Parts: sequence; C-alpha cells; structure tokens
Amino acid sequence: MKVARLTYVLVLLCCVFSCKHKEGEYHSLNEKIETESKKYHGTDISSETYIGDIQTIEIKEGTHTFLIPERKSQIKSYACIECHSKPLNAMQNGSEIQKAHWDIKLNHANENTMNCASCHDGNDMNNLNSLTGNAIDFNKSFQLCAQCHSSQFEDWKGGAHGKNIGGWSQPRAAMTCVNCHNPHEPQIASKWPVQFNTQKVKERE
Amino acid sequence: MGDKKKWFSLDFGVSKGEAVSTNSSCGCGSTSGGCGSHNAPPKKEPVASSCGCGSTSDGCGSHTMPKNEYLITAEEFDAAVEGTMVGETRKDGFQQVFDVKMDRRTAFRKLTASLLIGAGAVQTSCSAIAGEETKEKAQIDWEEQFKGNYKLMTQEEKQATVDRLVRSYQLRKKENIKMSATDASKDVLFGYAFNISKCQGYMNCISACVEENNQDRNSQMQYIRIHEMKDGQGFKFNEADDNYYHEVPAAGHFYMGTQCFHCDDPPCVDVCPVEATWREEDGLVVIDYDWCIGCRYCMAACPYDGRRFNWSKPEVPEAEVNKNQHYLGNRMRKKGVMEKCTFCIQRSRSGNDPACVEACPTGARIFGNLLDPDSTIRWVLENKQVFRLKEDLGTEPKFWYFMD
Repeated sequence: MKVARLTYVLVLLCCVFSCKHKEGEYHSLNEKIETESKKYHGTDISSETYIGDIQTIEIKEGTHTFLIPERKSQIKSYACIECHSKPLNAMQNGSEIQKAHWDIKLNHANENTMNCASCHDGNDMNNLNSLTGNAIDFNKSFQLCAQCHSSQFEDWKGGAHGKNIGGWSQPRAAMTCVNCHNPHEPQIASKWPVQFNTQKVKERE
Repeated sequence: MGDKKKWFSLDFGVSKGEAVSTNSSCGCGSTSGGCGSHNAPPKKEPVASSCGCGSTSDGCGSHTMPKNEYLITAEEFDAAVEGTMVGETRKDGFQQVFDVKMDRRTAFRKLTASLLIGAGAVQTSCSAIAGEETKEKAQIDWEEQFKGNYKLMTQEEKQATVDRLVRSYQLRKKENIKMSATDASKDVLFGYAFNISKCQGYMNCISACVEENNQDRNSQMQYIRIHEMKDGQGFKFNEADDNYYHEVPAAGHFYMGTQCFHCDDPPCVDVCPVEATWREEDGLVVIDYDWCIGCRYCMAACPYDGRRFNWSKPEVPEAEVNKNQHYLGNRMRKKGVMEKCTFCIQRSRSGNDPACVEACPTGARIFGNLLDPDSTIRWVLENKQVFRLKEDLGTEPKFWYFMD
C-alpha cells in the first residue's frame, strides 16, 4: 500500500514538473512581443545625438508626434517676397526684371490637374496654398502633398514611408516629402547600383 | 580577480613579487599584465593613476621604478608625462587621439614620445622597449588564448578582454581603436522591416555594411544580398540575380534584400557544438569570434543563407578600418571563423540605426524596438501586410517584408 502511494506521489510530481510552463517562454514571437510590451516602460537609450546638425521642428499629426527637418532656412531665396514685391502679372510682363526660376520644370500630374497655382498663391508668395485657398507654411509642406497622396501620408506618419533620421530610439525624426521628392518633378530617376561584386562573378564561373 | 579566473594564467615574469599595490592602475585589465606596473616597491609609487601612453594601456612601463640607478626622478617623469599629454589627462583612449585637432604626424609623435619616456624609465631593467612590448604582446596573446567563452564572462572579464584587444591592436598597428562590451538593454527587442515596393536595388546598403563592419575586402564578403526578381512570379531565389550591374530599377523587376534575420528560435545556435553563437536578450544573434572553431555547422543549419565564413585571413586597409567596434560586432575577425550581420550591434545598442538603414536612400529599411508600442516598426507590423521568409519552419525571424 505504502509503495503504491509513493509511486502515485512520484508520478504526480513528475507530471507537475514536466508540465511546468517555463517563465518567459512563449508559443510564438507575436505572443512574446505582445506580452512583453505590455510592461514596457521605455528605455534610457536616446537617439538624439544622431540627428546631428539638422535643424528640426516638431509636428503633431493625429496620434503621431515627431521631428522633421526645418525647411525655410534651406530654401536659398526664401523669403519669396524679397523679389516678389509686385503682383505676379506685373513681374511677368515687366521687361526690366530678370528672369527667375528658369530651372524649374513642372512635371507633376498633367496640366489639367496641376499648375503653379495648385500649390502657390500669387498674392501670398511666402506661403503655400491649399486646394481650398488656405495658407500652408513652407515648413509644413507635407500638408499640401497629403491633399492628394493620402495613403502615402498615412504610411509616412506611421513610419512605413520615408526615411528615418538618426537612430531607432526617441526622439523620432523623419525626412519630410520634399527632402527626397522634388515637388516640381517628384519622379525619382533611375541610376546605377553603387557597387558590383567581381569576386562573386569569379566564384560562379 | 586572480583566484576567480576560470582558466589558467601564465606569467611571463613581468609581474614578479608580491608587492602588488591595489591602487596602481593597470589599464591592460589584468593583474598580471605586461605593463610592468607592479614592479615598483610599494613605497615609491608617485605615478599611481596616470599613464602617459594613453588610456587603456600601460605598456609604456611608466610605473616601473628603476632599482639601481635613476635616470630621471619621479617628478621629472611626471612633468614629462604632463608635457606630452598637453592637459588632456581627463580624456582617455579614443578621445585623446581623435577628439583633438591633430594630423597624423602629430599623433605619431605623441605616441612615440610617450613610449620614449617609458623607455627612459625602464632602462635599468636591461630590456629595451622592444623587449617589453614583446613581453606584453606575449602576455596578451596568452591571456586571449586561454580566456573563456564571452557568454559566460562577468562584466569585468568582458571589459578585461576588450581592453586587451584594444591594447593588442595598439601594439601591433600603432593605432587606437574603441571597442565596447555593451550588454543588451532591458525592454529592447530589435526588429527589422523591409519594404519590397520601395527598394530600387541601388545597393547603398551593401557598401555601407562592408565599410561599417570591416568585412574582408579580398573576398568581397557581403552580409546583405539584394535579389532582383521578376514581377508577378513570386520569390524564386534560384532565378533571381543578386549581382546585377545595370541601371536600376529595371522594368518588370522588383528588389528584395536578405541578410541575417536574427531568428528568435535560431537553428544556427542549436547546432553550434561549442556554443560560440547565441541569442542575446535584445534578440541579436551574435558570435564570439574567439570561441568559434569554424566547423560551419551553423552555416549549414541556417535556412536563409545568413552566415559567412572567412576562408582566408580577412584584410581591410588600415585607413578604412572602422575603429568604433564592439566585441560581438565589427571587430577584426581572423581566418577560419564565422561572421554575419549583427544589426550593427556597435551602433544599435547605443541608439543608432544600423548602417544599412542609414545608407538606404529610399527608406525601404525600417529598424526599431519591437517592445515599444509607439515605435515605427510596431506600426508597420500592425498596419501593413507583413510576412517573413519560410515562416513555416518556426524559426521566428525578426525580419519582416511588406509592400505599400
């Protein structure tokens, strides 16, 4: 009888220990991420130093808050009214004024959809111009792009579109639309790869 | 530390005698280092904390007090040390050399001057400076040869081996490197996402990776591969081209990159017979290059071709060596060991993006902390259609692909 009881206890103990779910073990990576991020309190690792000398401004769009490069100081001839002191038609017709913006080629949608006035306001050259005629600051030009490119805008806010600046940690900084795309000619030209592995060619001969 | 050592330590006779002072700073990180700092009689120890040759190392022998005759007094020696340092006593190592404006020649002059001072101080010990250095090299090599597995080391032991490696590099190449032994941080699990619609096949990532991680230039080793695949035919790696050279993006093709995916259940780790590779707490799968025996089991076990082997001695021109290193990352490897992508451990553990992420001009590469619910990588995982390669194997790679 005693032996039977002992065996029973032993078997029970074996079962208990072998079924023990080891702490920190998960069925899948997703479960692990989900569970462990519930007790996430932030890290003390900062990415601030990696932003470098880039001047940034903070923007808040929906639930996302992050930094983007400041734009106005990067535009060579800003503020625009330093030259645009007269109404636009007066400047276009006046022969005494030198031609400007000769290097800008507009290749963005077709001419029925877009022209200069889709984004610029001849009466308020220092600001951009929304579809409804409201002023948009040059620093926040993404608001202008977002009027048509809404899915890209959503991805950009979340971090799936556009390039990150600095490191992976806080504060988050990202390039804005015009840092990569030329707004007058947004299509990016094809180019050559930066490297070619000659050793690989030899190995595969 | 002496009795706690897990391995046998040989003394080349540089540190004889029991008169070891507790406060003398020997940067080589070992009680029996070749710095000669323990030779001094305990009462004559005016140079307890600063060594002229800079930082991590005491190889100048500056603390050795001559026994028979004095060529210079301790005060003169101190003054000379101060002279060479030009008031930089607070900075050390890397900063000392690179944080001040100086050309190559000045840098060499400083190093040489410090060494000469050391030479003057040890002249009575009959060994020329070369002899001292040889002894120190031998001592370092010995301790390196018989050190333990990095995974099992205490923080002090990790620091000691890093200091030895830095000193060894300094002795051999006359250049200062900065090497860290930073451990994984709590609340961090690294993950990576790759946008297939955005990658244009420029290969900036590959070049940046090679430069950052000191990969062998002769065999043109590369951790990353960019595969050019035909649209609409799925992933056919056997038909894809990963070494194209034409204008990109080519019509009718898309591009995808592969590298080490840092699996959460890595098969390469399971097969290693000596446990020279393992998964760190922050999810990085790393290799102790000094513990690896080069059997290449891991290379065979990896279903993603993420691992590379050094068939020959890896060589990098001295000017191109990235001197910001991590023990488990981009420090110089040797012949016959495995290596692979570490998500640039030397960068990522201090908050920076891996070199490939930084170099990519398209923003196709996204890196971040999977445990941070507000991180961009989490947004991608939760809001885009993501998938991983060979998900059915259960390796749980922390590298996701997605499309716009």
